[in-house]
Amino acid sequence: MSPPPDQALWDIPDMAKLSISGVSKAYGATVALSHGDLDLEAGEVHVLIGSNGSGKSTLCKIVAGSVKPDKGKVVLDGAPVAVSGPRAAKALGIGIFYQELSLAARRTVEENICLPDLPMTGPFVDRKALSARAARYIALFDGVTGEDFAANTTVDVLRADQRQLVEIMKTLATEAPVLIFDEPTSALDRTQVDRFFEILRRLKGEGRAIVFISHRMDEIFAIGDRVTVLRDGRTVGTTRIADTSPAEVVRMMVGEETSLVVPAQAEAAASPGAVALSLRGLSGKGFSEVSFDLRQGEILGFGGLHGQGQSAVLRALFGAAPAAAGDIALDGQPFVPANPRVAIRAGIAYVSGDRGRDGIIQGRTILENVTPIHFLRNRLKLASASTLRAKATPALAALNTKFAGFSHPIGSLSGGNQQKIVIARWLIDRPQVLLLDDPTKGIDLSAKADLFALVRKLAQEGMAIILYSSEDVELLANADRILVFNAGRVTRELTGTDRTRFHLYEAAYEAA
Amino acid sequence: MSMLAEIAKRPLVVALVLIVLLLAAGELLSPGFASPTQIMRLLIVAALLGIVAAGQNLVILGGREGIDLSVGGVVSLSAIIAGNLMNGADSGIALAILGCVATGAFFGLLNGLGVTLLRIPPLVMTLGMLGVLQGLLVVIRQGIPSGRAAPGLSQFVTQPFLFGLPGIIWLWVAIGLLLAFLLSRTVYGYRIYAIGSNEQAARMAGVPVATIRVSLFVLSGVFAAIAGICLLGYSGSSFANVGEQYMLPSIIAVVFGGTSLAGGKGGYTGTMAGAMMLTVLTGILTTINIDESGRQMIFGATLLLLMLFYGRGQAMRA
Repeated sequence: MSPPPDQALWDIPDMAKLSISGVSKAYGATVALSHGDLDLEAGEVHVLIGSNGSGKSTLCKIVAGSVKPDKGKVVLDGAPVAVSGPRAAKALGIGIFYQELSLAARRTVEENICLPDLPMTGPFVDRKALSARAARYIALFDGVTGEDFAANTTVDVLRADQRQLVEIMKTLATEAPVLIFDEPTSALDRTQVDRFFEILRRLKGEGRAIVFISHRMDEIFAIGDRVTVLRDGRTVGTTRIADTSPAEVVRMMVGEETSLVVPAQAEAAASPGAVALSLRGLSGKGFSEVSFDLRQGEILGFGGLHGQGQSAVLRALFGAAPAAAGDIALDGQPFVPANPRVAIRAGIAYVSGDRGRDGIIQGRTILENVTPIHFLRNRLKLASASTLRAKATPALAALNTKFAGFSHPIGSLSGGNQQKIVIARWLIDRPQVLLLDDPTKGIDLSAKADLFALVRKLAQEGMAIILYSSEDVELLANADRILVFNAGRVTRELTGTDRTRFHLYEAAYEAA
Repeated sequence: MSMLAEIAKRPLVVALVLIVLLLAAGELLSPGFASPTQIMRLLIVAALLGIVAAGQNLVILGGREGIDLSVGGVVSLSAIIAGNLMNGADSGIALAILGCVATGAFFGLLNGLGVTLLRIPPLVMTLGMLGVLQGLLVVIRQGIPSGRAAPGLSQFVTQPFLFGLPGIIWLWVAIGLLLAFLLSRTVYGYRIYAIGSNEQAARMAGVPVATIRVSLFVLSGVFAAIAGICLLGYSGSSFANVGEQYMLPSIIAVVFGGTSLAGGKGGYTGTMAGAMMLTVLTGILTTINIDESGRQMIFGATLLLLMLFYGRGQAMRA
């Protein structure tokens, strides 16, 4: 491609500021990045885009030195470098904004900004120089930082957007020639984003090389010069923003047209039953104004990028993190899930994808792991192992669970079978509503197949089911209709033949 | 080696073997140490410790760094209250039991509420409660006499009752059976293990986590109170801080019996063996003229050694 005429690229023809080729990284059997390429020029804002788990963050972390690649080459200013750690990255002139904020909560704004490189006089921190330096970066955002924001405010009392601004200031304060921003705008409002973009444009003019990750198409097209698309751990291509369109970028993320056809897409339930669960204007931490009706016999999918409020809504329905406002009706009756016990008694089941935290009772037997819901729903006092075994056996058989005996510890099973045990605990006494919160995370393919076969069967028997999955193929193959979440709101409903990866991505990446 | 490792995994076996070895050693050091009357005396003393350790055991099983350092204070307070309420008369026994159990439950409730509602770490909460109880004991001692055990109570603790064993041994056995049933055959027991193993998962599975945790502290207070009454019966009259000696051994007995300090794993049978073992050990130490301070040092070192032995990496989660 020809370099854009209006930019500093003319000064350094044919030599990228930073060039990454063929890098890969695997965590055990999970390949996070199989072939990552990126050419970053000085004086450009280079956008990285790809769906959940496509390898963007891994690529950034490799550049920043916090993840060591298994293979591949990183070339900086024409010379191969080994970024052995975060300190090495700093020395090489690479500054990174981390998606997971890296601020020290009990320290002040100015201390956080200068933390990577504290000004010293002898062995002591030079407070004056520190304040002066921090003030320069705070001034960049003058007028958009919001109330109660000052250089000496501790970070823990700041709002999410203000923390994100501090993280940005901290990254800018590195004054590194290469700046990497991994989702720096997710919590910012319009005016803050505009100010940030002004700053980026100025830095670009100074010849800095900037990598920018965002899930908002409008932002990408507003600030980017070029875009590199990643899919399934591979770089699929780089193109100039001026030469492309949002639809084109989504097509690159989705892949060839053939992959649009999801194999064995289940037919939508022919005649869904009565409304089982109904939400009106439900709002809480991480979601707002969510309304929908869930019918008996229906599998309703929650889609969108990871962390857009899907889990938060499910956890609110289960009473694990109650909603702040709005109404829920269960079978037409007002329903307030104040805690999980209330929800369980009302016939709501919830399966978390975070098995280790929310699901399994480590160190205890399979029997103890499969029975707690049965105890609660039947208000049992005595636990007779033989009776319980008889009750649990059909539930475990329905999922083809492989286990040697009820008295074996849960830890002796594979991840997939552990998750089956956790799901089976809900099936001894049938719930009315089944909430699946990314239930197949980290489980093998055959366990997934067993799970979805059962879920479809339960729906056919009249159970109302919500499925949130971070794997789009899984969602498209199993959901009768899909609500796409974007920034905590339901922004699109996909039904019938609209249930394609293309539409799903289009909705997920549009401006909220 | 692998056989040794297998055996080491069974704390109950280890404890029983150690008890026999210690008895034999005691007999060698001081002939008569393992005589029937001596063994019965050891059993009575072990029962006192075992009853305190029952509550300690439950609190530790419940996890979240569960521990009850206030048991010693409750034992002392209970002994004083019992002494005053019965004051040497059998007619006062029922009232004394009622008063002591209520007192133990009350302080256990405070511990439990502090740990759940105020989210104070159990170590800090029960240590603070121990301080309160010790102060309370000083105040009480200045105001009222210590009181005497009723003859019926002393008889229950020291005289043969059934098959040549005193009532307190049978009480201990009954508590052992009760806890074994509670932990393995009731929903309550399943839930104790569940909150001790993974509190968050337990909550998501509908376990009333806070209620159960509070109940464990209440039970610990009640068991300590019962031990306090029995201790009064054993010594005839209560004296300053009689219960203090129980704090560390009650924890050692639980850990020795194979209950993980991290919670969710273990049971009371092992703890009973642990209490026996510690009592025999104390007997030997006394026989060879090691005084209280020396015994405390040895107990402390024992606990730390046990942590090394059983606890590698999982005894206390960070």
